[in-house]
Amino acid sequence: MHIHELNPWRTLIALSAFIVILIIGLITMPKPLLKYEKTVDESVNALVESDAYFYPWELEQVIAKETDTIVLFDLRNNFVFGQGHIPGAENLSASVLSRKENIERMKKLRDLGVTVVLYGDSELDANGPWMLYRQVGFNNVKLLLGGYRYYFEHKDDLSATINDDGYKRGIARYDYAEMAAPKDGAVLSDIEKPVQVQRRQKSNVAAGGC
Amino acid sequence: MNKNYIILTILMLVLAVGTLFLRMSNEPKQIDPEELLQEIIQPTRYVTTDQVAKMIIQGDPSLMLIDVRSTDEYIEYTLPGAVNIPLEDLLVEDNLLYLGIPGKKVVFVSNDDIKADQAWVLTKRLGYGSTYVLKGGINCWMQTIIDPQQPEETAAATDFETYSFRKGAQMYFTGAGSDDGGSNQVNVQVQRRQKSNVAAGGC
Repeated sequence: MHIHELNPWRTLIALSAFIVILIIGLITMPKPLLKYEKTVDESVNALVESDAYFYPWELEQVIAKETDTIVLFDLRNNFVFGQGHIPGAENLSASVLSRKENIERMKKLRDLGVTVVLYGDSELDANGPWMLYRQVGFNNVKLLLGGYRYYFEHKDDLSATINDDGYKRGIARYDYAEMAAPKDGAVLSDIEKPVQVQRRQKSNVAAGGC
Repeated sequence: MNKNYIILTILMLVLAVGTLFLRMSNEPKQIDPEELLQEIIQPTRYVTTDQVAKMIIQGDPSLMLIDVRSTDEYIEYTLPGAVNIPLEDLLVEDNLLYLGIPGKKVVFVSNDDIKADQAWVLTKRLGYGSTYVLKGGINCWMQTIIDPQQPEETAAATDFETYSFRKGAQMYFTGAGSDDGGSNQVNVQVQRRQKSNVAAGGC
């Protein structure tokens, strides 16, 4: 006969200890600082939401300090920030974004209902961090279209940028098909040869000649 | 059977089912947001138009270009050998099969580089490696490869080297005879080459 069948209390004590250890384990399990709030599909769809972006002309009210619910974060490094930045912006280098204190600060700003605008030198520099923050539930984070470079070029008359399309993304700036159309062979025939040689070499290699 | 054993069995079953739910709350095949953030702040994902041009010309079999623009834009013009997967359709299961092929370097291409970068972030979240973004996109391709500008006489020697490469590339991509092989150039299985050492510049 098993020992526990003789003493059911011991079984109960062992069980309780087991459960307590499990519960302690679950409670003390390290919680991740960030957690995805949007699925990948939702994130794709969210890219077209216009309220996820901050337009260059909207900077005027921030620079004039007409609002206290918008914070600008400059993701460039400290040195470049020191050389020039959008008035009122705070430096938060991309390299320190993942630090615990910075993530907690972002959470605090979100809870206070403050809009956070991220910008880098170009729009591309802030695109990744902005996408990530949106995916982990920071719906108050916006991306400055055009980045610092566009701001710098237009800082004297930001309101005029409302009619400009220089900051717009994804636009073909050339007529690709026409520009890349094959040129007149007669003009290129002399210099075309080396290119043909290169291609022929490749096919020889593929054919396995020695 | 002793009732203690029955209770114990039930408890174990409940806990086992509980662990199943723990797993389901995390979507499988995703990297942690913090890890993604670490990856995002590295600029190593960008490749230049010169590097891509060189890989195409050399017929680098490891190169796979994915044009994430709309189908209409793709039909009008794309880079030689690029396949079209609009960003909205990127995460369709069949399209994900293009990613994660061992030995393949996937380069996302769009008009500029924003849409390509978005595709990079989303696929990185899903754990796909060896993905890159064509910096400057097709706009930069036009400026640097299709219509390269001669550097000023006082420019550095490397600028002239770059220009000389670009002129050659321009002939390759726009010269008579190169248009017909456009979609086949990447598919030609040739020897593997190193990535371009051509000096970066331009966009």
